[in-house]
Amino acid sequence: MELYHDYIASGRIKLKEKIKVPTTVQDPCNVIRSGGLAEKNRKLAEMLSEDFRPMSYQGNYNFCCCGGGGAIPMGGEMRPHRMKGGKVKADQIRETGAKLVFVPCHNCIDQIRDLNKEYDLGIKAVHFKEVIAHNMVIPEHMLAAKTEEAEEEV
Amino acid sequence: MKHVNRQELVDFLKPRLNARFQTWIEICAHCAICADTCHFYLAHDRNPSMIPAHKARFLNEILKGKAVPDEAYLKKMYETLYYECNMCRRCALYCPFGIDVGLLVSLQRAMLHNVAGLRPAGLEAAIENYRQFGNQMALTEEDWVDTLEWTIEELEDDYPTLEIPIDKQNAKIMYTVNAREPKFYPQDIQEAAIIFNAAQEDWTMPRVGWEDTNLSMFCGDLTTSKKLVENTFRQADKLNAKQVAITE
Repeated sequence: MELYHDYIASGRIKLKEKIKVPTTVQDPCNVIRSGGLAEKNRKLAEMLSEDFRPMSYQGNYNFCCCGGGGAIPMGGEMRPHRMKGGKVKADQIRETGAKLVFVPCHNCIDQIRDLNKEYDLGIKAVHFKEVIAHNMVIPEHMLAAKTEEAEEEV
Repeated sequence: MKHVNRQELVDFLKPRLNARFQTWIEICAHCAICADTCHFYLAHDRNPSMIPAHKARFLNEILKGKAVPDEAYLKKMYETLYYECNMCRRCALYCPFGIDVGLLVSLQRAMLHNVAGLRPAGLEAAIENYRQFGNQMALTEEDWVDTLEWTIEELEDDYPTLEIPIDKQNAKIMYTVNAREPKFYPQDIQEAAIIFNAAQEDWTMPRVGWEDTNLSMFCGDLTTSKKLVENTFRQADKLNAKQVAITE
């Protein structure tokens, strides 16, 4: 996520367009609170969005989605507990009115997709890379080179 | 469940109770400032048993001889440590003493795993795969390299020059993923590859040591945990990569 932030901030990756629907971003505990990337996480979400809406407590003080600490890979035995405990995150997301939630964590994204169904949030949860890969300008070098090679062979 | 006596638990804890842990256990004033910081507490209608500080209670009970670690006690401990805490460490930000209940829960989970042999079945399955295959999804090296190859072939029409350099020497970035990606979400690998190619990044993906999850850590199986981290960094050293990057 930090790399993606740096690519876009420095212009190494250029965007065709920004996301139009309201967005927000999850702060995964391990990446943000323990990993120190709060600022870049939010900045990246802002750079990709026309209408970014921070959650309450966005950043280091954000709530856990209730999918962390092994809760997702624990499977069925944990499911009722994480659905109940995830109510706080579901409410936070609903409050923002966002339709798209950036989630830079595999655990969080599985949990937030489950919360979406459980609490009928009407959102889509995505990794940053999905949005970047679809919304960036594809540079010339990614399209042209093989044709040149083919010509050279002829 | 293994039968355990209190002394075994104490013996496990003693060498691990460094000055910081010792201080935390003794200094907690039970002020309950941590209560409102916890999503479990809030989602359970402010049930006092969900207060973070309460989830560290087993340490004092065991150390002070107030606990009889029978089956019911260990079960209660398991439920508290796994069903009522994600070790998210939010409460640590609000505690006036900086007590990190997440770390204390982690220590207690490690005690359950190492002394009583108690851990969630889901984590146990992942650990078995880590030990045997080096990743939680039981992929062989051949499965992995195959996946990378067909992943790229699929993109050939749209991005004819796209590459995933495997085991390239001296790359700036060695990119690692969650084993769920090659197993269930290969599009995640494709998207990362598209971005790295667009940015003309000097990158590589390793043949081994590519798994960046470490679920064994969640139950305190540090032997497996260490092996996983070593797999990754040994390969990074071998390839002389400058940085290891992990997936989102």
